[in-house]
Amino acid sequence: MRYITLALLLFTAACTKAPQVVNEVVAVGSAKLPSSPADPAWNDAPVHLAKMIPQDLVEPRLMTSSTPEVRVRSLTNGSEIAFRIDWDDADQSDMPGPAKMVDACAVQIPEKIEKDLAEPQMGQAGKRVQVTYWRSDWQATVNGRGDTIRDLYPNAAVDHYPFQAKPLEKESADQKEMALRYAPARALGNIRSGPRSEPVEDLVAEGPGTLAPGPSLGSKGKGEFGKQGWSVVIIRKLPDGLAANQRTHVAFAVWQGSKQEAGARKMRTGWIPLVRRDQ
Amino acid sequence: MARVYNWQLGREMSYWYPENRPQKQFAAVFDTNKCIACQTCTLACKTTWTSGKGQEYMLWNNVETKPYGSYPLAYDLKLLDMLNGQQWNGHKYEGQTIFESAPAGERVLGWRPEQQDYAYPNVGEDDCAGQVDHGSFLSLPHMNWFFYLARICNHCTYPACLASCPRGSIYKRQEDGIVLVDQSRCRGYQECVRGCPYKKVFYNPMTGTSEKCIACFPKIEQGIQPQCFVNCIGKIRLAGFISKPEQARPDNPIDYLVHIKKVALPLFPQFGLEPNVYYIPPIHAPVSFNRQLFGPGAADAMKTYRNAMNDPDLSGLLCLFGSTENVVPHFRRQGDTVVGSNGKDELVRVPLREPVHIRPAVDPKNQLIRINCP
Ligand code: SF4
Ligand code: SF4
Repeated sequence: MRYITLALLLFTAACTKAPQVVNEVVAVGSAKLPSSPADPAWNDAPVHLAKMIPQDLVEPRLMTSSTPEVRVRSLTNGSEIAFRIDWDDADQSDMPGPAKMVDACAVQIPEKIEKDLAEPQMGQAGKRVQVTYWRSDWQATVNGRGDTIRDLYPNAAVDHYPFQAKPLEKESADQKEMALRYAPARALGNIRSGPRSEPVEDLVAEGPGTLAPGPSLGSKGKGEFGKQGWSVVIIRKLPDGLAANQRTHVAFAVWQGSKQEAGARKMRTGWIPLVRRDQ
Repeated sequence: MARVYNWQLGREMSYWYPENRPQKQFAAVFDTNKCIACQTCTLACKTTWTSGKGQEYMLWNNVETKPYGSYPLAYDLKLLDMLNGQQWNGHKYEGQTIFESAPAGERVLGWRPEQQDYAYPNVGEDDCAGQVDHGSFLSLPHMNWFFYLARICNHCTYPACLASCPRGSIYKRQEDGIVLVDQSRCRGYQECVRGCPYKKVFYNPMTGTSEKCIACFPKIEQGIQPQCFVNCIGKIRLAGFISKPEQARPDNPIDYLVHIKKVALPLFPQFGLEPNVYYIPPIHAPVSFNRQLFGPGAADAMKTYRNAMNDPDLSGLLCLFGSTENVVPHFRRQGDTVVGSNGKDELVRVPLREPVHIRPAVDPKNQLIRINCP
């Protein structure tokens, strides 16, 4: 009985104090996946400390190392997998603009579970990787930031937008159609900014420079900025074929907007084993 | 990096991709001597293409007052400083281009303007520190002169924007050499903004992509000149297509001005992009300044332009500027008239000298004194 009490005490201490640190990413079984990084359910998952290296394989490279590591936890409900990614960041950069980059992170998983792994940086031809990408300005939009220039520059004065002139009625289909003519990326469905319901997007890649929108993995996300930096939850479909106690791999990337990081200028990890442990 | 030939430098140079010249290359000649900085071109572009959300600050066409004006602020001085003084040997450039001086880990030598740099579309406008009775109260390196420099994207043969994009989202059209950002592929990394030395790609925070001058390609496809050309009050602009120097056609207006008369010169050829907007340099600005902007041909171009009144072919062709909405692929002079055609049909006919009518101050028939009113 004494031993059981001791074990119980130790277990409780482990849950409330320092989290268990593991040398791979362990996706722990959980009926419910927490959508918020603040959810105490994350305490059930051990932490993996993933060292980051600068992207220095293809130009433009990141020449100065920034984010040293990400702290990763993972949970799975058997059909989806959730990651909570934490990193230290002194500045919350979520305002896009000329020479203003935004904070972001991404989770990369091989499309197929194979012995012969794809290149850890964006995969390679014939060995596709799936990337789920979260971005801080998208988070701000989901949190309620409006879709006007004044939401980015509160003192902006605009004389005239042709699509807001009479006889076009406010919010009419005609007005929306005309506004799209002045926003070609939106007209083409390349929603890099503006209204959206999730701060994440699903992508695929077969090597650097090939990143493209991929089939939906039903991804969701939520990021919160705290005293230490960002804490971001990314939930996506469980990798195909990842049965209990089986392994695949995962890699992470982080961009710090305040350090002008975007695209190829990023900190990244190599492949890290990802194991599914149902309880 | 590949080795490519840049005729503006008189030598081969390094570029990110192998040489791949389009079948035709969009080009333009701007006569700086005629620009009055009315900004009609700027507005013509703005109302046509950049009236959307996130485009408020963008000027795909801008007109800056040299020597100090620049948009974005100091776009030219900053890069010239970074290149740190380079040498021409006659018409051969012996310095380094922005591709050749790219630091480790970079594709080009570049920098990214801050948002405040876009806040002064024409700093120093008309600030000529001229002679006043008691002398100038301010002493500046450039005194007593200024001129207007109208700028659009140069649709460069070796675009730095295109070379900078790690995703290959920028392409140069084979049919006309126009350089475009694929708005469905761009992810807004702003590498092109950083790379373009002329700062003619702009980041749109409301679409999250980078946007740039499209040379009004829907008009070019129909044989019509872009908006900033046909609306130009000073009639300083002529759009067309340029050939390689060894294939120059004397009846092609652009070839004639650039390759044959060498009166129109590229802007900052030393950057190495082989830009395709050519400028007739301002003849009242110092040669040294023109040389820095337009390369070693500046002095000769100024001389040729000054002598244009004795050169009927050249002055005739200059009369074609702003005379028609059509792109004029061929021209010829017939006595006192210059004719523009598409090779088959005549497109425009302009007299070398406009007829002069002198109206006497007194109207004898109606017994009236005439007055001039606007
Ligand atoms: S001027 Fe700038 S934007 Fe235009 S083609 Fe050249 S490098 Fe690209
Ligand atoms: S419209 Fe013509 S004259 Fe007026 S500023 Fe533009 S280039 Fe100069």
